[in-house]
Amino acid sequence: MGYDKPVPKPNSDTRVFWAGCKDHELRFQKCKECGHVRWPPSVVCPKCYSSETEWIVSKGKGRVYSFVVYHVAFHPAFRDEVPYVTAIVELQEGPHLLTNIVGCKASEIKCDMPVEVIWEDITEEFSLPKFKPT
Amino acid sequence: MGVACLSNYLISYGLFMNSKQLRDKYSIVGVGYTPQGNVPNLTAVSFYLEACVNAILDAGLKKEDIDGLMVYRHFEPLANDTEITPYLIAQHLGIRPSIVGQEANCARGHLINALGLLEAGFCNYVLIAYGDNAFSGRRTFLKEATHGEPEGDNGAFGEFGLVANYALAARRGMHIFGTGPNTWREIAVSQRKWANLNPIAMMSKKGLSYEEYDNAKWLVEPFRIYDACPISDGGRAYIVTSTERARDLKQKPVYIMGIGEYNPSVDVHQSDFMEGPTGAKEAGKIAFTMADISIDDIDACQIYDCFTYTVEVTLQDYGFFKPGEGYDWFKDGRTAPGGDLPVNTSGGLLSEAYFMGLTPLTEGVMQLMSRCGDRQLGPKTDTKKPQIILCSDNGGVFQSNSTVILRSS
Repeated sequence: MGYDKPVPKPNSDTRVFWAGCKDHELRFQKCKECGHVRWPPSVVCPKCYSSETEWIVSKGKGRVYSFVVYHVAFHPAFRDEVPYVTAIVELQEGPHLLTNIVGCKASEIKCDMPVEVIWEDITEEFSLPKFKPT
Repeated sequence: MGVACLSNYLISYGLFMNSKQLRDKYSIVGVGYTPQGNVPNLTAVSFYLEACVNAILDAGLKKEDIDGLMVYRHFEPLANDTEITPYLIAQHLGIRPSIVGQEANCARGHLINALGLLEAGFCNYVLIAYGDNAFSGRRTFLKEATHGEPEGDNGAFGEFGLVANYALAARRGMHIFGTGPNTWREIAVSQRKWANLNPIAMMSKKGLSYEEYDNAKWLVEPFRIYDACPISDGGRAYIVTSTERARDLKQKPVYIMGIGEYNPSVDVHQSDFMEGPTGAKEAGKIAFTMADISIDDIDACQIYDCFTYTVEVTLQDYGFFKPGEGYDWFKDGRTAPGGDLPVNTSGGLLSEAYFMGLTPLTEGVMQLMSRCGDRQLGPKTDTKKPQIILCSDNGGVFQSNSTVILRSS
């Protein structure tokens, strides 16, 4: 049985990020002018409007900024997953990333809890960055 | 730096000074209702048309008078329905407005844009409307949020739209200022009591006890089903014109005393101020400055309530209570029939029906026109007879707020 959940749909802005995920690297744009690390990717820094950008690799560590527990499957491929946790992780470099928290019970998760990335290879093409408690 | 600060100050000051000249200059003069709730076998456009025609009749206008038409965001058409556009509505209404508009992505600029058009002289009577057949067409939350397909890459993580988006914000609020289901239960139960006085509310005949709330299943935790507004069939419309023109019309006009809009815009997933302040804080400041009053002058509130938490954080950002004091403020029925500060007196989106920001705004208008039957504020509901009502419309996921202060004429 093939992978039946939705997969990422890279575009010209996000292609570098998803290619990085395949290599188990979290790649973000960093402004060469002011140093702001931004997410999602774009052609211009929202802080200083510089378009001079480099890609950096995140350490993959951060904290749970907020999280929710899905008790209803809004998509049929998630019927066997509920209850599952989606969360926003604030990475140490700054970006807020939508992800899943795995490796612990939903009841153990708290805002500001430290987490680190763990990779899930879902297809030949894609790996998803998920996070577990450190 | 000093020069920039000074110029910003002067711009703000100038803006607010001008806005005071608009106080009470424009009025809402008619409201259009339709059958609502579960009303099968009708298209979305048919609800729009019925609401629009009823608003025109209610105001005592001729269709030819309508020279501005604004419709809310359209959702994906259900079954074989037609895509909603202002052209389609104008065609079926047999009108040729000078100006049409439609807000994409739930931005909430309808009324403030209409006032700009009236003030500039491009329009004399602007009709603002929304309709949908979401209930009988079985529009799901997924379809509502994303036209049926997960947006961008979020679906890969099982993240599907609005319930979870607002729940993320609510969870952050729980962490930062200590709110939670105990507060939201008060909101859900109080609004249900208002709906029980409103014969056209979807939940008119259904009570809601604390126990039912507590025992309800989780939807997306921390939200239970009673924290989320149900979808509905139906439509709603209203007409805005100058107060001068309003004096010749059928209904007692309701003055727009103050209005403000603010768009924080940041997607909730990237927001680093998820617990607030929402756009209500800045929009509220602008509206209160124009009206030249304070929150102590507010007799009742009609607050956009897609979720219970939305009501709490919106009132908090207006300054009715300090962050985290919501539970003490809402408890003992402060906002329920008989309370000091009635909120969402039709039942709101949670318990009346979902017509975007038209559910709260039109209820504010109808209350000030004294046309609300058993739920009428005043002696009938053991509440203060209202002179001034604060209305709030919120779009996106706290990305857009429109605050309107209404006053009876």
